[in-house]
Amino acid sequence: MGKAEHPIFSFYNKNPDLYDEIYTKGGDIKEVYQKLFDIYGGHSIKEFADLNKKARASFFNQGITFQVYGEKESHEKIFPFDLFPRIIDANEWDIIERGSIQRSKALNLFLWDVYHEKKIIKQGIVPLDLISSSNNYLHQMMDLDPPGGIYNHISGTDVIKHTDGKFYVLEDNIRCPSGVSYVICNRTALKRALFGVFNHYQTHTVTNYAENLLDLLETVKPKGVDNPVCVVITPGMFNSAFYEHSYLAKTMGVELVEGKDLFVENDFVYMKTIRGPLKVDVIYRRVDDLFIDPLEFKPNSSLGVPGLFAAYKKGNVTLANAPGTGVADDKAVYTYMPQIIKYYLDEEPILSNVHTYHCSRPDELKYVLEHVHELVVKPVDEAGGYGISIGNRLTKNEIEKVKKQIKENPRKYVAQPIMSLSVHPTYIDESESFEQRHIDLRTFTVLGKDKEFVLKGGLTRVALEKGNLVVNSSQGGGSKDTWVLKK
Amino acid sequence: MLEHSFNLAACIKPMSLEYFITYKAENHYESMVNDAHWQFLIIPEHNINQEFITVDFKNSIDAYNEHSINGYGFKTIRVQPKSKFKHITFEASFKLIKNNVNPFDFEPNSDIAIDYQKVMELDFKVDFEPFLRQTHYTSIPTETKTLFSFDTHKSIFENLQALNQWVFEKIYYAPEVTDVYTTLDQIIKHRQGVCQDFTHLFCALARQNHIPARYISGYLHQGNGYFGDSQMHAWAEAYIPNLGWIGFDPTNNILANNSHIKVAHGKDYNDCSPLRGVVYASGSNETKHSVLVSHQQQQ
Repeated sequence: MGKAEHPIFSFYNKNPDLYDEIYTKGGDIKEVYQKLFDIYGGHSIKEFADLNKKARASFFNQGITFQVYGEKESHEKIFPFDLFPRIIDANEWDIIERGSIQRSKALNLFLWDVYHEKKIIKQGIVPLDLISSSNNYLHQMMDLDPPGGIYNHISGTDVIKHTDGKFYVLEDNIRCPSGVSYVICNRTALKRALFGVFNHYQTHTVTNYAENLLDLLETVKPKGVDNPVCVVITPGMFNSAFYEHSYLAKTMGVELVEGKDLFVENDFVYMKTIRGPLKVDVIYRRVDDLFIDPLEFKPNSSLGVPGLFAAYKKGNVTLANAPGTGVADDKAVYTYMPQIIKYYLDEEPILSNVHTYHCSRPDELKYVLEHVHELVVKPVDEAGGYGISIGNRLTKNEIEKVKKQIKENPRKYVAQPIMSLSVHPTYIDESESFEQRHIDLRTFTVLGKDKEFVLKGGLTRVALEKGNLVVNSSQGGGSKDTWVLKK
Repeated sequence: MLEHSFNLAACIKPMSLEYFITYKAENHYESMVNDAHWQFLIIPEHNINQEFITVDFKNSIDAYNEHSINGYGFKTIRVQPKSKFKHITFEASFKLIKNNVNPFDFEPNSDIAIDYQKVMELDFKVDFEPFLRQTHYTSIPTETKTLFSFDTHKSIFENLQALNQWVFEKIYYAPEVTDVYTTLDQIIKHRQGVCQDFTHLFCALARQNHIPARYISGYLHQGNGYFGDSQMHAWAEAYIPNLGWIGFDPTNNILANNSHIKVAHGKDYNDCSPLRGVVYASGSNETKHSVLVSHQQQQ
């Protein structure tokens, strides 16, 4: 590639109100990005666009796709990707990694407690409502001791950087968090397209995820098993994350199965193979709680294995994640995370929560009423985004209306500051140039018995629509390779 | 009817009864079934009042009967035939000894207020959370929220007895009007139902008054002319502080007694359904169940 007439960032418009990941407030390139900027800057936008196109085509050819539901015919799409990576330096990463482990451990202890003694509720630290109103609280899990004491073997923590430059956690995903296969595929694609750039940075590998996952899953094997047989269970090829299920099974070197490939006999789980039944000890399940066993949960589920829960309850098989983790994966539980961390670990949270004001508390109510214009106000008991008002988008009249609603029933509302996600230069097809786009980061933490692992990378998701703060892949989001630098 | 239950209690002699229970299920399918899984929750519970002698379970195609447990730890039998079939029958027979208990043999707390205080304590609410929550079958429509309120001058036990009678009088026993999909709002509206519906209404209203209540599935010996049919029976247990779980049968307006043989308990019918099955078959099918309970007095 020769010297370019139009360097890559020549049309990059910086909005000074946003936190840009590669530029300082003064408009200089941040040190950690300087080398990368120089290398990319040596090329024209046209050259970049061509390479980008090729990289995307390779995704499609490898079948790294996801399904989009809801349209007339569901069709496969690739997760949009660009060749300009996001870099997280060692110090920043240290905070994220320690913070992710801390949250995962605290949530694991919380789950143990709510399925055993329920001390945190009896001591009034979190309200009883949190479990009694939750449909994800499975009474079948009561007093059951999962192997190794682990519930959330795999956690996905969604982290953002706010305009103040600090990291905040938006969500803890501890049911079946997905996305890790994109992390690895993004790395592979970038290596293939621009091998040379890796020579200038000491970047942690991400391809060790599968071996670590398998190692840690083996630490939670059932009692009396020497060499556990692990499998990945998928709802099937029509599931939106099927690629990931098959990828993980393949890279861990274990079988990918559907419910119909397994059966239960005498409370042990077996896999049907051409050489006869093979006992299965650990199941990494990507099938939701209520679908894993039609004899125990949803009777019309054809995705599960009849009798699986009985085998689990008897301790003959490990399920990762454990059933019933959903109770801690909840908007309401999130707001209590600082207290949960303090209670079980006696530590201050390393990663901040987005501050939540409970209108049920008089002093917080006063603050909320005075600051409706700069807060997101949410009803505590409604799901799916109903009844949410975003302060800076309201007219004067609407603000008064919200205030009135809150005053009528303060218990029903919580409020949070409006968070602004940091932005990162992202290649946009339509304008054929780099533009600022909002990003977040999902980290992947694996807990085993007395061991833990955080993938040094994570999935940076990009909101491709200008100004959009929603970064989900099904909502038209893209992703980026994410480099974590060595110290 | 309330009088009746007192009289009944008085005339039971301290003796134990030997029961014989037969449970039959018959399934016919229009076309060959390739794959099927059943789980039976029909074995009487072993507790201080119920002792087992024998459990026998057979199916007509000689498929393997696997003894296991369900998610709540109750005994189940799972059947997963490996060969194809169009008809299958299951037959279970149990022999058990039921020790004679007088349901009124307890000392109610003399200070009523203490019990009402107890049920409002956080620890109590946490411990009994599963049996205080509203479930699919025990949700009362908001407009009828004040159907039955406790009179706190009377003991919790007396209130539950009054509730038992209230439910008994509110609903007319009518088989085949409701089914397993019927919810409480329809039952309250039509005032007809079977034991399952009586029990759900009782549980819902007890819970609304802060008393933990659980759904019981089991067998009823009908020799005394009780309501029920040749199916499994349902009644409720309510938790009274210092007394424990006490059984109420709102279908018959009595306390659970010697004629009630418990199999399992749960939040509602969903946790206790006697038969769960996953059958991959095309075409129509027909299922028949029958239950027979007989007894013989022991010395």
